Amino acid sequence: MKNKNKKKWYILFTVPLLIIFTTVVIIPFLIGIYYSFFEWDGIAANAKEFVGFDNFVELAGDERFRESAWLTILFTVLSVITINAIGLAFALLVTSKIKSANAARTMLFMPYLIGGLILGYIWQFVFLDVFTLLGEVTGLDQIFFNWLVDPEFALFGLVFVFTWQMAGYIMIIYIAGLQGIPNDVIEASKIDGASPWQRFMRITLPLLMPALTISLFLTLSSAFKIYDVNLSLTGGGPANATELFAMNIYNEIFGSGNYGLGQAKAIVFFLIVAAITLTQVYITKKREVEM
Amino acid sequence: MTFQKKLVGGLVLAPLMLALAACSGGDDSSEGGGESSEQKITIFQSKVEISDQLAALAEEYTEETGVEVEVLGTTGDDYFQQLQIRLNSEQGPSIFSLQNVTEAERLESYVYDLSSEEYIEHIAPDMELALGEKIVGVPYGVEGFGMIYNKDLVSPEDVADYESFVSTLEEFNAEGINGFSLAQDAYFLIGHISNYPFSVQEDPYGFVEQMNAGEVTAAETPEFQEFADFMVAIKENTPTPLSMTYDQQIGDFAAGQTAMIHQGNWASGILSEFEYDFEIGMLPFPLMGNDKLAVGVGNNWAINSQKDEAEVQAANDFLNWMSTSETGHRYIVEEFGFVPALTNIDAGELDPLSQAVLDATNDGETIPWAQSVYPANIVPNDLTPFAQAFFSEDMTAEEFLQGFDEAWQGAQ
Amino acid sequence: MSRTLDFLKAALLIVLALFFLSPIYIIIVNSFKDRQELYDNPLTLPDSFSFQYYVEAMDKMNFLSAFGNSLYITIVSVVLIVILSSMTAWMLVRTDDKLSMVIFMVFIATMLIPFQTLMMPLMQFMSTLTNTLNIPMYNTLEGLIFMNIGFHSSLSVFLYHGFIKSIPITLEEAATIDGASKFGVFWRIIFPMLKPITATVMILNVISIWNDFLLPSLTLIDTDLRTIPLSTFYFFGEFTIQWNLAMAGLTLTIIPVVIFYALAQKHIIKGIGEGAVK
Repeated sequence: MKNKNKKKWYILFTVPLLIIFTTVVIIPFLIGIYYSFFEWDGIAANAKEFVGFDNFVELAGDERFRESAWLTILFTVLSVITINAIGLAFALLVTSKIKSANAARTMLFMPYLIGGLILGYIWQFVFLDVFTLLGEVTGLDQIFFNWLVDPEFALFGLVFVFTWQMAGYIMIIYIAGLQGIPNDVIEASKIDGASPWQRFMRITLPLLMPALTISLFLTLSSAFKIYDVNLSLTGGGPANATELFAMNIYNEIFGSGNYGLGQAKAIVFFLIVAAITLTQVYITKKREVEM
Repeated sequence: MTFQKKLVGGLVLAPLMLALAACSGGDDSSEGGGESSEQKITIFQSKVEISDQLAALAEEYTEETGVEVEVLGTTGDDYFQQLQIRLNSEQGPSIFSLQNVTEAERLESYVYDLSSEEYIEHIAPDMELALGEKIVGVPYGVEGFGMIYNKDLVSPEDVADYESFVSTLEEFNAEGINGFSLAQDAYFLIGHISNYPFSVQEDPYGFVEQMNAGEVTAAETPEFQEFADFMVAIKENTPTPLSMTYDQQIGDFAAGQTAMIHQGNWASGILSEFEYDFEIGMLPFPLMGNDKLAVGVGNNWAINSQKDEAEVQAANDFLNWMSTSETGHRYIVEEFGFVPALTNIDAGELDPLSQAVLDATNDGETIPWAQSVYPANIVPNDLTPFAQAFFSEDMTAEEFLQGFDEAWQGAQ
Repeated sequence: MSRTLDFLKAALLIVLALFFLSPIYIIIVNSFKDRQELYDNPLTLPDSFSFQYYVEAMDKMNFLSAFGNSLYITIVSVVLIVILSSMTAWMLVRTDDKLSMVIFMVFIATMLIPFQTLMMPLMQFMSTLTNTLNIPMYNTLEGLIFMNIGFHSSLSVFLYHGFIKSIPITLEEAATIDGASKFGVFWRIIFPMLKPITATVMILNVISIWNDFLLPSLTLIDTDLRTIPLSTFYFFGEFTIQWNLAMAGLTLTIIPVVIFYALAQKHIIKGIGEGAVK
């Protein structure tokens, strides 16, 4: 009786959202998987030819795709580190008891509000004019030059801008996490004579684990999916040096008109990334329970 | 217990109820514009610059005929993708725009055959968009590109062939002036300029096909060999175009810091937003001594054949009205600012660049746009990365040709 | 000693924030310049602060109507997202079985799917729904809200899930013994404790729904249904952008969100005191 009741409440609480979620996300995703077995140009009225696993075989030999997958992984690792380090530093700064904290919190968050083409324009301008100027003035023209036109540096330019955009966003998550830490624990450690660094490493950081899990995953997933900034800042150039994964798929699907192959790429990459991140979430989740 | 059952059912149904609310909302709006009034047509097109004016034209049409016309919005770049998605989900517009034959081929099952319509008679010779025998698109207007030059700095005989072109660039370079500027966007970097070695062939479209089939290569074609020399000369004597935005390119030209830019008559709009006090003109790109501008059609109106008969008819009526009525003509020339591709339109007063294109067209002194038959998306997907590599690395003319062939074959 | 340190920290923070904001300075000063002035120097203050481009942008965007649509879509979507995903997340946390784990994993796994790969099948499926079940997903604000809920629920469930785990279960057990229904327990006891994370969820969703371009552009057709980002398409030409209008439009778009964020973050701060009670 009690169990039955429990089930009913479970359904009551979860099913409404699950229905919407399934309709909007799951079913289209499954349709996408279905298309990955076809050779099709993405125009409904044109012929779809069932080709089995041919698309998957083909993408294994696609050098541009492998290159793009590698770039995406490199980009993601770099961004996850910089965004989380800077975001956490911001969160610590703005939650400390200083006067300008409130204003700073809003200001640091502002970059996240700018998207798309305008963002690309502003940063192209900063790299072209401001960076070149800095290089001339400081004499460090090995560091300050237009990164975006150099195939070796363009990716770092992308990491730089993405960090600028996302750090304030991740800061919010860390702020929420920091607020969950009871004040008395901190006070107690102060009385014990712990230095600020010890306090951070021994108390704040371990208690921040849930926020860290969330932040890592959020940066990970948004870095893997990055498209807007990629498009507006470098457009994948120069010479494909910054063609990240979402853009590669997009070009395959809509540019070259290989709908099936594009979907196959999306699925393969999704599986790889999902395997990695779900393992990460699973492990950290277990850890949290133990704590 | 039964109460709980109801509650469970109720909450499960909540999303459906939301949908129902949406349903009733939808009915309201469709009653407003649906059966009660006349036929309604929708237009989806990629040239954002004329969106405003097109909406005004649509309004005038509604006033005259009572047919409602809705103009949909898009931000330039993603137009074709959006069109594709709309058509696939049966939400396609009644009238849409197509850039070239390659796009028309992909949408073959959606383009309506205009061959029997009367208004297509007015299309200037060879300017219609055709799939085999079928005429499927009415041109927006004609456009032409070449070297836009500052008459104070350059005179036509300075850039009449390869030798004079190179020595002119070298002189400008020595003076600290940018002699010839491309811009970073795909078509401005390589798309347009890559036309010339095809377009100066006897049969440009046929030559593209031979390239596609691998029967000819750039490396062993004299026109391409000279083209490669041109590109190397441009790279050696001018600042990199990879940092050059379109705005910057036009601004530098207006400021007198750039002598020539490779652009089309469409640039006169943005150029007019700058202050400059010299005369400008457009010259042919002198590949193999070429003395003709490259003129073609950038956009065409097409009708969605999958719509019901009444809507197709209404769309036809609109295109007919636009191509034949006085109001339509006035909008095409004055409001949209096109060089008309319809013979029944009097062009009237034009800016110098458009005038150059019109004169060339009237005198038959033009070469066609080979890019209209390029493989789909080869310019942004394959040629642009190649050109970026060319401009950022050390590459000789031979390596340029080799890279060009590789990029071309990669697009197959 | 600690005072000077605090002062230094505060000063450092402001310098940092200004550095972070400098691109926003570029947006604002250039919303007052014409193309020639922008070309001459994008960094300087404009010759004159005339609001002509703002007036023109508002006029072209049909600002009031677009603002109303954006407001309606954002508020209804976010309220429903908060209600539905907090309930779901709570159940998933408190029911420790395989099914809950799987559902949760599916939610977060889908956060890794780029929207670009979903949009075509999504639109096809929505068209099927519209045509067979007569549910008008297309060209209605409600249809867009429905899709917004689907796309934003993963992140929201994920955030709630993480936060709810840290709430001691003893509180709700006591209430359950008192005979309160699950519904009552959730709304009277749990939901108020979720305030800080609710504020966070709201902020993140408000921003992404308010700024979204792609999804509305695919689903809304009628001119009078356009949202604010949709109505800025006029400024993005085939080859170049009308920068002054686009930047004025962008400024108009983000001002409401900045105000909302400034207000909402106070609630996150309040949450500190309340959270410490546990």
